[in-house]
Amino acid sequence: METIQFDVLTISGAMLLIATFGIVVTRGFMDWLNAYRYQSIVLSAITAIIGYVTGIWEIYIAAGLTLVIKSIIIPKVLTYVTRKLEIEFKLETNPYVSIRASVIISALLVALSYFLIQQIPFKSDQIVNAYLPVSMAQFFIGLFVLVNRRTVLSQVVGLLIIENGLFLFAMALTHGVSLLIEIGIFVDILVGILISSILLFRISQTFDSLDVGKLENLRDD
Amino acid sequence: MDTLISNLTIIFLLLPPIVGAGLVTVLKKKRTIGIITICSASLILIQVLFLVSKIVSEKTVTAFGNAFYVDSLSAVILLSVSVVGFVAALYSKNYMGRQYDNGTVDDKHIVRYYQGFNVFLLTMLVVPIANNLGIMWVMIEATTLVSVLLIMLYFKENAIEAAWKYLIIATVGLSFALVGTVFFYYANINVNSSEDAMNWTGMVHNAKLFDPNLVKIAFVFILVGFGTKAGLAPMHTWLPDAHSEAPTPVSAVLSGVLLNCAFYGIVRFHIVSSVSIGPGFSNQLLIILAVVSIGIAAASIYFQKDMKRMLAYSSVEHMGLISLGIGFGGLFGIFGALLQIVNHAMTKPLMFFASGSISQKYEAKAMSKIKGIITVMPVTGILFLIGGLALVGMPPFNIFLSEFMILSSGFKSGQFVATSLVILFLVITFAVFLRHLVKMIFGTPLLEMKKGEMGKLAIIPMAVLCSLVVIFGFYVPTQLQTLIQNASTIISGGGFA
Repeated sequence: METIQFDVLTISGAMLLIATFGIVVTRGFMDWLNAYRYQSIVLSAITAIIGYVTGIWEIYIAAGLTLVIKSIIIPKVLTYVTRKLEIEFKLETNPYVSIRASVIISALLVALSYFLIQQIPFKSDQIVNAYLPVSMAQFFIGLFVLVNRRTVLSQVVGLLIIENGLFLFAMALTHGVSLLIEIGIFVDILVGILISSILLFRISQTFDSLDVGKLENLRDD
Repeated sequence: MDTLISNLTIIFLLLPPIVGAGLVTVLKKKRTIGIITICSASLILIQVLFLVSKIVSEKTVTAFGNAFYVDSLSAVILLSVSVVGFVAALYSKNYMGRQYDNGTVDDKHIVRYYQGFNVFLLTMLVVPIANNLGIMWVMIEATTLVSVLLIMLYFKENAIEAAWKYLIIATVGLSFALVGTVFFYYANINVNSSEDAMNWTGMVHNAKLFDPNLVKIAFVFILVGFGTKAGLAPMHTWLPDAHSEAPTPVSAVLSGVLLNCAFYGIVRFHIVSSVSIGPGFSNQLLIILAVVSIGIAAASIYFQKDMKRMLAYSSVEHMGLISLGIGFGGLFGIFGALLQIVNHAMTKPLMFFASGSISQKYEAKAMSKIKGIITVMPVTGILFLIGGLALVGMPPFNIFLSEFMILSSGFKSGQFVATSLVILFLVITFAVFLRHLVKMIFGTPLLEMKKGEMGKLAIIPMAVLCSLVVIFGFYVPTQLQTLIQNASTIISGGGFA
């Protein structure tokens, strides 16, 4: 029984990493959104697993919220907003680092997070062992996507990955901070995504592009 | 009975901005919603003054079980939020009215502005009184979201760019802070898994038992995270953009108090970390960031061409000074830092208000286009001059006193290298800032301009702030002294149960 449970933990963690890599290797915004949706569904399943293992009922609510907000509402909102944009805005030209190199860097980031987690004295616990490195890796890969890509859309996607990483981090380490705070965090994300959608729309209107390089009017010289 | 009173105190404190935002949404008339906002801000101010005087005598107020916890440290932040909120609401009426008249904003924008302003005040009021550090994080993130909405009020390229950068950088920064918060929480539930493990009071209580390595990692995350929001270099890059592109009253609130709210987050965790592993670790980090901030601010002010950006960099400098004072430690240094928070919260809004009026008059923000303010608008010119002199730390104005305390505590605590570097940077800033200021205030205007001020409602808030600046240079009210004294005791690791 113990080993089966352990396998479930490992496999679900791996599925989450695959979803994250899915965002790293694809080029179009719709592909990112699909990868993100898949990632959120896996995340919600993982949350439910954590809820099952620890037996805390509040975690099931968090899992449900994750499923509804992150795999349904947020992709819907972003699809709705970007449907109005020109098609060329949704495809990025070239990331700063080529996709092949990005995959290697992301793999290194995964290794780095496993290494870092070993340095920190955590209580040994199978959930922590299985998910904490994965969540750290997601955090780092999110940061990497955020700085590597040229379009404004990918910055939103990077933020979303970071946020998923954070959520799993808090879940795995502390089995969820209290439900009230989690709802607060969900509201923050939702409002943040709404605001960034409005901004996306305005950027595409006023700058006639979604290239981050165009956002360089404000300088000190 | 007593708990009922304190519960009511908190409810009534948070009620005006909520009701205000609601009324603004319903009424929509340009004249009325300005007045409603002024009313809500003044109600907040009055209640905070009562609450603060209660804190001076009773030290702490808790409400709703342990959900809200107000001590002297929160009171200092509350005080600055409410004062700046009040003067900014006053100034908004005039400023937004003028923006409306010259066609920059329309009716819809004004309604959105006042809604946002009320909600912004609400979020900043909750940050210092929330005992639960997770709620504090949620509210600090909420301040980001609301202020992004306020910055993107204008459909201008620059405003949109600034709002975007601010949203992305601040959110990423705050995600680091959340990691740090979760680490602290984890450290706490490892030693004591009670219900309120996320509460600050609970954390300080158990802090001695925390795993030291965990605390160190956690504090680094906190410092990077909230430091981004507090405008500490090198994470400050969003700040000059956001502060220069926001509507002027919002810039004043952003610079004057929002930075303090984020810094308040650092201080709370600094206390936990000091109790846990001794103050040495966090102090050292705070001093390093402070010196970098003050240095970068000095260099940026040197090359600055835009008036509002210069003021924004001066905020980076002052946040550096505040963090320096906390880092040097000792009752004197911490007292100086807290006094600096109060002083900066009076002086920076004054400067932003004046610069807002000036740029409306000259229709420019570039300093090269602004000359001879004193002949064109004498009252604003004089207020601008006094504010500027105070800001660079000229005696006999308020900031001189607090800067002097911070620097002397640096020598006292043996941090000679850091202190001398900071003094060097401050001298550079002093000279450059004054040169910019003198060039703008004196001389003859480039174009033939109609003389005249921007209206009474623009002058009154500045005059209020200016008289505070002058008075605080000579005399800090005894009640405030006691308050800051108590808050310093809390930060230096005593004074809580």
